[in-house]
Amino acid sequence: MSQRLQSIKDHLVESAMGKGESKRKNSLLEKRPEDVVIVAANRSAIGKGFKGAFKDVNTDYLLYNFLNEFIGRFPEPLRADLNLIEEVACGNVLNVGAGATEHRAACLASGIPYSTPFVALNRQCSSGLTAVNDIANKIKVGQIDIGLALGVESMTNNYKNVNPLGMISSEELQKNREAKKCLIPMGITNENVAANFKISRKDQDEFAANSYQKAYKAKNEGLFEDEILPIKLPDGSICQSDEGPRPNVTAESLSSIRPAFIKDRGTTTAGNASQVSDGVAGVLLARRSVANQLNLPVLGRYIDFQTVGVPPEIMGVGPAYAIPKVLEATGLQVQDIDIFEINEAFAAQALYCIHKLGIDLNKVNPRGGAIALGHPLGCTGARQVATILRELKKDQIGVVSMCIGTGMGAAAIFIKE
Amino acid sequence: MLRYHMQGFSGYGVQYSPFFDNRLAVAAGSNFGLVGNGKLFILEIDRSGRIVQVNSFLTQDCLFDLAWNESHENQVLVAQGDGTLRLFDTTFKEFPIAIFKEHEREVFSCNWNLVNRQNFLSSSWDGSIKIWSPLRKQSLMTLTPRPLEITKMVDPLNAIILKKKSFTGISKNRNCVYQAQFSPHDQNLVLSCSGNSYASLFDIRLPSGKNQNNFLVHSGLEALTCDFNKYRPYVVATGGVDNAIRIWDIRMLNKNESATIKRTVPGQPHNSSCINEIPNAHGLAIRKVTWSPHHSNILMSASYDMTCRIWRDLSNDGAKETYKTNSTDATKGSIFNFTQHSEFVFGADWSLWGKPGYVASTAWDGNLFVWNGLG
Repeated sequence: MSQRLQSIKDHLVESAMGKGESKRKNSLLEKRPEDVVIVAANRSAIGKGFKGAFKDVNTDYLLYNFLNEFIGRFPEPLRADLNLIEEVACGNVLNVGAGATEHRAACLASGIPYSTPFVALNRQCSSGLTAVNDIANKIKVGQIDIGLALGVESMTNNYKNVNPLGMISSEELQKNREAKKCLIPMGITNENVAANFKISRKDQDEFAANSYQKAYKAKNEGLFEDEILPIKLPDGSICQSDEGPRPNVTAESLSSIRPAFIKDRGTTTAGNASQVSDGVAGVLLARRSVANQLNLPVLGRYIDFQTVGVPPEIMGVGPAYAIPKVLEATGLQVQDIDIFEINEAFAAQALYCIHKLGIDLNKVNPRGGAIALGHPLGCTGARQVATILRELKKDQIGVVSMCIGTGMGAAAIFIKE
Repeated sequence: MLRYHMQGFSGYGVQYSPFFDNRLAVAAGSNFGLVGNGKLFILEIDRSGRIVQVNSFLTQDCLFDLAWNESHENQVLVAQGDGTLRLFDTTFKEFPIAIFKEHEREVFSCNWNLVNRQNFLSSSWDGSIKIWSPLRKQSLMTLTPRPLEITKMVDPLNAIILKKKSFTGISKNRNCVYQAQFSPHDQNLVLSCSGNSYASLFDIRLPSGKNQNNFLVHSGLEALTCDFNKYRPYVVATGGVDNAIRIWDIRMLNKNESATIKRTVPGQPHNSSCINEIPNAHGLAIRKVTWSPHHSNILMSASYDMTCRIWRDLSNDGAKETYKTNSTDATKGSIFNFTQHSEFVFGADWSLWGKPGYVASTAWDGNLFVWNGLG
């Protein structure tokens, strides 16, 4: 009797426990027909702002030319019938209205049928990743089967359009203590992080130099070749190589750069902050049941995405709160993750997040980050997805995360297949 | 809804007679089937719509399943807790007409071959499946799903998670074969599911050692029930302790192995990908899944959560595959939720007779309910 009773007790206890575990973590690594899978993820080279290859073209041009290349490489069944793409979401920060008009226009020009709807998204620096999440959620709930997430930014051309952090018109809000924090320049929020959490200038410069060294090495070894699609420029030249990474950057060479935001005692410099850049990236997502039907290749799968709010004056801590949230939601722990792509808005905020979470530095941005490669705001999240899917090996788990202006963090989990 | 209450007994299995449209058999045990007598109830629905007992057989140990003889209208086979199978003639009283004794532990399921109608099989806590003929005392064949170490078989990455304390209970019932079934399309195919979370597909024409294909079906948690689809020969459903119903295409098992699990050693069991899943189909473990005899895309489940549910498999619209999954539907494909039972539901069967949709269910509460799941 006791064994029969024990057997039934086991069924009850384990099934009741399974219900409580938020995301069936025991089976996260199994493939399921309802999985949201990534069929393709690519990006353009990242151009230097104001003086790089993309300085004379705007986001519509970048997006149109990128889509021509991207769609041209789509698997045959999809290329033959672009109607199968049921939604396009495009992240962008600086264009007026997040580029709702000109980016829809670029999609139409590149052959995506008018019947495929378009949405422009702006969640600041996470816009590209938010676009991936938007498409993934629509696939998850069955609204669509296949969707395209994009991110595009020309900081060169659009930094001037808007005060990068927007405006507050109401006098009442301008005086409101909490509201006006949203206007604090990003550099100052990073100075706050560095000062509050005692991140030394030396540590920041070392981290930044390391990013340069990794990126330069990766570029020279051709590790970005698979993810970068060539962009043809109006003069006929082709850009297919990142302009940010440069050789011989050391902590010492960076140490001589003067602080950019607080002249006397600041620690944030042009050398240990992300570069101003232009670029575009795209991620094609589908439900696995549909991808299998169409025989589409699968690069990896989207697992989950979470965002959090943090105090605007130290917005750089975002990943330190977003990553634990997405890990908890999936039942994973920091040590289960093989690679972290944490956007390097600034060395200080990235270092803070890495230390706070106890992440092994060797697992962070193995091919360099935004300090060396550049940070085309709305493109970055999608760019990181394209990069991490080349860094991960089969069945490895990766996290893509970034801090977000006005005080937020975003993090998403992907598994390579 | 019709009801019959089996005073003092808890229901484990129920099956409509394949010969009489108003006849049902129920396998039951006293003390919730944990200890004591078992009882086989032969019930009939009379003209006024009442369920009446026309015969019963008391057994020395609890009964966990039954199967009507497909070639004899009065014979019922039962699976008994003492390791025996007993064949009763419903026109007789008290004693079985045959006893089949080989299993070393509780027999949890029995199933009659619907194609050749000559053989039946049994599955047991002793880790084996046996194929029998009613004419022979000894079994014709013993099938043993390869003993699979859960931690070895699960993907090494999965093992990280299995190591966690919460899933250690798995070991005790690991070898128990909770259910086995002949294919209704091919007399040589047998499907089983076990406490080690694997389902096994046997082709009994092949020599032992080469006749089985094992695939992980419930994420390392016990797989308690399985069923062949009656219309799509290659589609099976499984249910288990992860509260999920999964639907598999048995043609895809090898394909998945070679296409996606490169590091799997050939011949070893593997993680396959199901074609559809109903996650959290029930609040607690699922004890029974059974496909409709009238529809290719409707199935029923019964659970420890005291409910029976009717589902539409949204990956198929009745004629062709849709490549949708139930998770993408607002209702998850749920058609009906039967909530009248007040204890764990262990048995459920579709009526072959009359208007499609009638089912019988039985539970620890001692009730047998007959109800319409399709309205």
